[in-house]
Amino acid sequence: MAALVQGIRNSLTRNYSVFTGTFAKSAVVGVQTCNRYVKNTPQKTFIPINRLSENRRWSTTASKKLKLEEIEARVLNVIKAYDKVTADKLTLESHFINDLGLDSLDHVEVIMAMEDEFGFEIPDVDAEKLLRPADIVRYVGDRNDIYE
Amino acid sequence: MSQKGRVIDLYKTLLHLGKDWPKGYDFFRDRLKKAFLKNKDVSDPEQIEKMIKHGEYVKKEIEALYMLKKYRTLKRRYEL
Repeated sequence: MAALVQGIRNSLTRNYSVFTGTFAKSAVVGVQTCNRYVKNTPQKTFIPINRLSENRRWSTTASKKLKLEEIEARVLNVIKAYDKVTADKLTLESHFINDLGLDSLDHVEVIMAMEDEFGFEIPDVDAEKLLRPADIVRYVGDRNDIYE
Repeated sequence: MSQKGRVIDLYKTLLHLGKDWPKGYDFFRDRLKKAFLKNKDVSDPEQIEKMIKHGEYVKKEIEALYMLKKYRTLKRRYEL
């Protein structure tokens, strides 16, 4: 008899606890959904807009301004790396074909090396005018809005 | 575009194509240079025109070769 009573009580309490459990859960869910729609709405933007404009992580041409001397050094280095040019004859004013003894095909290769170095394409119309290192320096400078 | 411009353009395009040449870029460049220099004294416009046509043909051949190479590489991978 006592055991039976105990059993009934146990089952009753279990039922009760199950009931409160589900009830409590649904109540919590209700609160959460409530929160999602009411409280959290203003924080939905991940980065505050004022910080976004301050530190942009992507690069632009404006952010890394080349200096004219730097262009000169890079142009001369690329030409020096070309195997048919003797480095000691090379100056900014030496003519590729007349002074350095290159032919027009070599000139095309030099221009291609410049394209690789500075990362933009030089159209043929412009390329045939770039006959001295100084011309290339000025052309690259114009592309990057740098003037003497 | 003038004939000279077209030759230069062809040379440039071929050089770009040669960057992935199986035997290396330098090998390709030397050969290409020799092929162009061999005909540097030709002055007859019709003859030059013919050579430019031939150059365009070579360009297509190289592209086809790369396609074939790619296809063969893929095929080999699948067979393993």
